[in-house]
Parts: sequence; C-alpha cells; structure tokens
Amino acid sequence: MTRKNKKIAIIGAGHNSLVCAAYLAKAGFSVNVYETRSDVGGMASTRELAEGYKVPGAAHLLHQVDSKIHKSLKLDKHGLAYVASGLKTISINPNGNALVFDDDNITGDDITLREQEQYKEFRKTMKKLAGFFKKAYQKAPPRLGSEERRDLSNLMSLGWNLRSMGKDSMRLMLKFIAVNIHDVLNEYFDHEHIKGSIALDALLGNRLGPRTNNSSITYLHQLTGDLNGVQGSYGIPEGGMSSYSDSLQKAAESAGVNIHTNSPIKQIDLDAENKIRGLVLESGETIEADVVVSGIDPRSTFMCLVGPKHLESHYVHKISNIRMRGNTSKLHLALSGLPKFKGVDKEDLGNRIINAPNMKYLELAHDFTKYGEYSDQLPMEIIIPSIHDKTLAPKGHHVLSAIVNNTAYHLKDGWEQSKPVVLENCLNQLEEMAPGIRKLILHAELLSPKDFENEYGITGGHWHQGELTFDQFLMLRPIPGMAQYTSPIESLYLCGAGSHPGGGLMGLAGRNAANEILSRES
Amino acid sequence: MLRQDHYKTSVYKTPFHERTSELNILNEWTRWKDYTVSTSYFRTDLEYFAVRNTTGVIDYTPMVKQKITGPDAAEFVNRFFTRDMNKIAVGRVGYVVWCDEAGQVLDDGTVFHVRENEYWLLCVERQLDNLGNSAVGFDVKIEEITDEVACLGVQGPTSCSILKAIGFDAIEHLKPFDIKHYDFQGQEVMVSRTGFSGDLGYEVCMPNDVALNLWDELFDKGEIYGIKPFGLDALDLVRIEAGLLVPGQDFMVAEEAIRPGSTRSPFELGLSWLVDLSKPVFNGREALLEEKKRGSRYTFVKLNINGNKPAEGAYLYNQSGKKIGNVTSAMFSPSAKANIAFATLHDPWKKGKDKIIAEIYYQKDLEWNKVMEEATIVTKPFFDPDRKRTTPAELY
Repeated sequence: MTRKNKKIAIIGAGHNSLVCAAYLAKAGFSVNVYETRSDVGGMASTRELAEGYKVPGAAHLLHQVDSKIHKSLKLDKHGLAYVASGLKTISINPNGNALVFDDDNITGDDITLREQEQYKEFRKTMKKLAGFFKKAYQKAPPRLGSEERRDLSNLMSLGWNLRSMGKDSMRLMLKFIAVNIHDVLNEYFDHEHIKGSIALDALLGNRLGPRTNNSSITYLHQLTGDLNGVQGSYGIPEGGMSSYSDSLQKAAESAGVNIHTNSPIKQIDLDAENKIRGLVLESGETIEADVVVSGIDPRSTFMCLVGPKHLESHYVHKISNIRMRGNTSKLHLALSGLPKFKGVDKEDLGNRIINAPNMKYLELAHDFTKYGEYSDQLPMEIIIPSIHDKTLAPKGHHVLSAIVNNTAYHLKDGWEQSKPVVLENCLNQLEEMAPGIRKLILHAELLSPKDFENEYGITGGHWHQGELTFDQFLMLRPIPGMAQYTSPIESLYLCGAGSHPGGGLMGLAGRNAANEILSRES
Repeated sequence: MLRQDHYKTSVYKTPFHERTSELNILNEWTRWKDYTVSTSYFRTDLEYFAVRNTTGVIDYTPMVKQKITGPDAAEFVNRFFTRDMNKIAVGRVGYVVWCDEAGQVLDDGTVFHVRENEYWLLCVERQLDNLGNSAVGFDVKIEEITDEVACLGVQGPTSCSILKAIGFDAIEHLKPFDIKHYDFQGQEVMVSRTGFSGDLGYEVCMPNDVALNLWDELFDKGEIYGIKPFGLDALDLVRIEAGLLVPGQDFMVAEEAIRPGSTRSPFELGLSWLVDLSKPVFNGREALLEEKKRGSRYTFVKLNINGNKPAEGAYLYNQSGKKIGNVTSAMFSPSAKANIAFATLHDPWKKGKDKIIAEIYYQKDLEWNKVMEEATIVTKPFFDPDRKRTTPAELY
C-alpha cells in the first residue's frame, strides 16, 4: 500500500494534532481530523466570555512555538503574527514595589546590583541546561533495552548531549533531574520576591509546590521554548490565541488535511484481531482508516476509546496511574475600563503580571491542594490581552485572563459548591493587587480543572495531559514502553502533550509523532 | 470471604483434620499456605501404591480457590489466561498458566467453568491482586473462597467405584475434565474428573459442613476398594510420573523471582499448547510474540536417566563437560520402572546433537558418591494408563 492510499484519522484538533496532520499530509497521506468541539485548537483557542468580550480559552501566552515547525509549516504565511512579544514579567508586591523581569534583567523591589548579576548568571546556567532538553525534544526518545540502530543512536545522542555540556553542567543537570526548585533558588538568591517569582514558572500548570521533588525540571521545560529566537520569551498572537490554531489549521488544510469539527468520537474501531478498522463517531457513523492517531490524552485514548478489554492488563494499570490531576483554573473578567495594578505603570499593563511574592506563599498554597482544599491566597499569572488586541473587547473596555494555580481537581467539598467561593477569593485577591478592579467587572467566570475536563476532554483537566515530572519524562512519557508515540495496538499512535516532550504549545509531540508514523507506515 | 481468626493460631486445621489427624500415625505435617496438612500418613511408598493400585485420598483444601463471576467472566478469563478459554465449555475444566507483562509464568492451575458466567481458579499462589488488577473495565466479581470450600482428591483405579458407592450416580460417564454437581446430604458438591495423579481420579469440592460426613462415607464404602489416605510426599511422586509441574519447584513464580533469568515463559516450560497467540489480547501476549521471534532461553524436558539413583537437583552437562542445565524434580518411578526427572536446558545445548549427562550425588552409609549418568529425552508422560481416559470409567 502506498502512502497515498493509506487513510489516517486523527482524533482531536488541538495544536499537536494539527501539526501532526500537516506533516503527514505533506508526506502524501490522506488525512482526516475529527474534533468534538465546534472550533479547532483545543486549549489554544478563543472563547466568548460574554457578547462582545473574547478571552483565550485556556493558554493565554505563546512562548514555546518550535521555530522549525513555525518555518516548515509556513505559519507566517498562514497568518501567525504577534501583536506583542518579548513581554516583561511583572511580579507584583502587596506593598506596591513590583519586580520587573525583562529577559535576563531584573529591576524594582530594592534589587541590588549583585542580585541583578546573580540573576543573569542564573539565567545563563538554566538556559544552558534547558538546551539539553531542547535537543532531546526534537526526536522520539529511545527505547531502553532495544537493540535497534535508531534507538541506540538516539540514546547515544542523548548521552552525548549531556556529556558535551561539560563536566560542571553535566553535574548540575544530574542534580536538577531530582531536586526541587526551592533548594535551587536558595542556592542562587537571598531575595524572597525573586525566588517566589522564578518558582512560579516551575509550578504553573503542575501539581507541585516549590519543595516538591522534580520541580526544577519543570522550570527547565518552560525555558526550552523560544519565541522569535529569544529563549524563554513570551508573546501574544494577533487576533487572540485561536489565531495560532487557525494558522495551524490553514497549514494543515493547505497540505490537504480535512478537518471535521462537531464530530465527537465514540470509540476506536478494532476488528476481532485487535487491528485498526477506523473510528466510530458518536453519531454512529463509522470512519474507515488504516492508521489512527490520537491527539487527546493517553488515558482517554486507551481507557475510553480503545477500552481496557483490548489491552494487556499491565498497560491498563500503568495508564490508570499516569499522574494527571489538574491543578490549574482560569479566571476570565470583562472590565469596563483598564484596572490599575499596584506598582505597575499604565504602559506596562500589557505585560505578564504574576502574583508570587515568595516561595513560602507558593508552598502554603500547595499545602491546601494536597488535602483537597484551597487557599484564599492563590498564585496567579495575569494578562490583559485586550490591550494588544482591540478585537477582544468593545472600545475602552478590556478583558483580563488569569491562570490560577493550586486549585485541585479533587476538592473535598466538590467544585460545584467550591467554585463561587474560589471565584470570590480570586476577586478579593485581585482587588488587593488592583484596588478598584471589582467595580470595573461586568462579567466574571472561573473555569476549574473539572470544567477543563468537560470542555476539552482532558482527564483530570491537566493542561499538560500528565504531570511534567521526571517519572513521566522522555522515555517514560506517557508510560514506559509507549514512549515512541506508538501503542500496543498496531497502527494506533499518540501525538498529544501526553507524549514526549509534553505540554506547552510547542507542537513537537505532533511533529515527532508524524516522523514516527512516516517511518513506520511508509 | 477469607477467615479472619488467623491471629489466634499459626495455622488453620482443614475441615478434615479430625479424621486426617487420626489416620496420620506418623504425625508428619507441613504448612501449606495457611493450613497444616499431612506429608505422610503411614508410609509414603505404600500411600503411593494405594494411588496406583486402589485409591488414595488427599486433603487439598489449602489449594487457593478463587471464584470469578459476572457478565464479563468469560471475556475476563480469556484475557487473563494464555490459552483460548472459549474452548472450555460450561461443565469443563482446563489446565491453565498465566503470565506477567514480560510473558513469564506467574503460576499454573486449573480453571473450572462451573456455570454460565462463573469460573473457579484453583492454584498454588494467591492471585487476588493479579486478578483484581486485570479486572479494570470488566464487569466481574472476584473473590477468594479457599476457606469456604473443602477439597478432596480421590485418585486411583477404584476411585470411580467408591464415588458411585457413596451415591454419585452415573459418575462413570464423566469424561476427563468434566464437572458434575451432586446433592450430598442436602448440600451441593462439585465432582470433576481431574487430579494430580495421571490416573483415573476425581476431585470433590464441598461446603465445609459436610466435609467430615463425606470423608466418613468415602472411607466406609471405600474400605473394600482399598481406600487409603495419602500425603504430599506421595503426591509429589505421582505428579512427577504424570508429568505435572509444581510452581516453586519446577519453575520460579515470576513475582517471587529475584534474579533476572530465573523466571520461565510458558514456551520454556514445554507449555506451548497452553498459549494461543492467535487470541487478539491476553496478559503477556506481546512479550511472548517477541519471544517467538527471538527464540527462547530455556527448554523444558522430561528425562529418562540411566541407573537407579534419583537425580534430584543434578547439574546436567554435555559431552564436552559444559553445563547445559539442571534437574528440577526427580525420582525412581516404580510404575515406569525408570529413573525419571524434569529438567531445564539452556545454551550451549543443541537439540539432537548434544548428549545430556547428569551429575548425580547419592549417599552410601553416610558417604557421598557421585555418578555421571547419560539421560535421554522422553516426550510422552512417564505414566499414562488407558483407564485415565476410558469413558465410562472402569468400575469394580
């Protein structure tokens, strides 16, 4: 069978699925994408908060778009442009003395020259370490114990990348794999506010506290991304987050991909021999396919769409135990005017504003999470995208989008009961940071991890389709023995963030999966 | 439900203990799981000959018994065991093995397809955790019923006559591996034509409260048929002659093995016939397919060894003195009149080319002697009388 005759069905139209689809179609396969929602992009999409007010549905900043994907899929040509990039991070302070991170420089909050130098040094070291992962992210991780040439060469290049960093960096790297960000930051800094602000980057989207082991690797993961060639830089696409997805959609469609929205999938159709027959849609329609690729999370893929009966029980056990309890909520506000944040100049409001005054604050917030409770002092990442993109709100009005961490998927009192309280707590916190903001609020909503699970179909509502810790990293992601985008079912592949290299909006899982499928199915 | 009073005693007594302890004139006991059972009652060789010539009765209540019920029971067992379980119809018993994810044998046992949607698994090691882990997504209930069901093995040429005499009508028409339920004093007992002896024989599973009465009936009606109790020592002799493996002796239970390489796949235990790779999915399938492709590390063989010295634990060498394996079970078989053994062979042994030489140590008046005896591979069971299969079974 030639490529052209092979039919590939892709489940979900998130960014990784679209990237995967585009590469496969470019290689000559016939590719169809099926999406439950009415729009593409999954968590990189735009959502209507109220009439006339649009907000980023989940992710609200771009900072990890892989430059090779950007280039080879010609995303520029397909409409991806940034209205803002190189955003500063402003870490606000209850006393109004904000700390400003601009690339490798910090200012504000009584920062000394020495601390500025320390930060430069820290960033240099961390970027170097992140470089190791950046290289590793570009291909499928090797299978351990395999004697195949490709696996051996991947394993060797992984080892070589580590070795070629030099002795000191190699040592640091080995340390970073396990250690927590709390101890690392205490080694580099004394300034509590700096430490809190950096630690937030390691924790955002994950279910970790600064003192939780493995919380350094998540910081490096976050640093692997670059935007327009600037490592660790943040940007906002023109036309809202959905324009990133739209550009991927156009790239995929121009390569010949057919995208079917409003097409929820009931099951992956297997014949009596456990071979792929295609898909069954909720509508009852059956889709024939030779290859099925799932962009949704591994647990939904195998436990719901394939079904445990079709898998050996050890797979069922491992997949059921992927750590993927979401911890992140989203706060959306429609505002009748521009709020004023303590210690933030009006012209700086378009930047990334964070609330992480110190590491103890973050650790305490995590303590609540551990016991199914929530703090009334939550860490946040806030942006006001309407400053850059006038299409999001009526003239003079604004929308605010905040990622609120440490809101556990499993709450003792349940989300239905807790949600109004969490929302109220968040608004009170915001009022503290930006006095007067409550008077500007026209509409407010909080999307909990439960809402993300329902809305986007991610088990546990975990943004990364599984915690990004070392036990679920590289060849262990999503589970050992399934890390090459393959699965126990022949011709069923994974291409989502649940696979290596994980979440963010890189699209690398999608591209690496496409490469794997090309080499196996051609 | 398992008994909860284990803290009061270090071992349980089986429901037959009142009788077995009377008959056990040697007072030889061993612990089997949570129970104490006889290793030998009066003389192991005479117990052995009772099984071979008349009838022997063994109390095997401690055998771990698990019940699997529910609408998905058939699908569940088919995914858990390596063989095609659809071929084991209602009212039939099948010998089974099951594997971990690496295709290594966790245990062997027998599955009783007792009724529609009800299976019993009888085996050596507790399997609740493995069965439970495997049950995700299946509508089944899994329970251990070891303490609720008393079991007797009634084995030997006159066994059918004895069971018929205690009122099990038409029992002679049971084919090997058939199950039939009988009423015994108002309670349901399950009789199957199965056992560990390689001869005509039956296993009887009953509720605990009729256990003693059934024992008494058996020994009362069985007296003229030469009924005798037999212990685990005699069982070990008959099962070797019958060619049946014991986990923990002939292979390591995969969960308990510490060293890599000390576990065995079904192929490496000569149990390929229990593996149906054409089934779309079962635990261990992927690994076993891979083994098929790459080849196995070990070969299980039955040996006929020259001389008459049992080769227990013997190392095996080829003609150039290279170690090629070891013996796992051995005995001098009175029925086969041969020095027999089970062995596992490995590299550099070459099938059909290499000789197999056993290094056997034996004691003579406290002094250890050694002989090197050549062995040949036997493919048929050492002991395989026609009456094992004949239906209707022979009556006396």
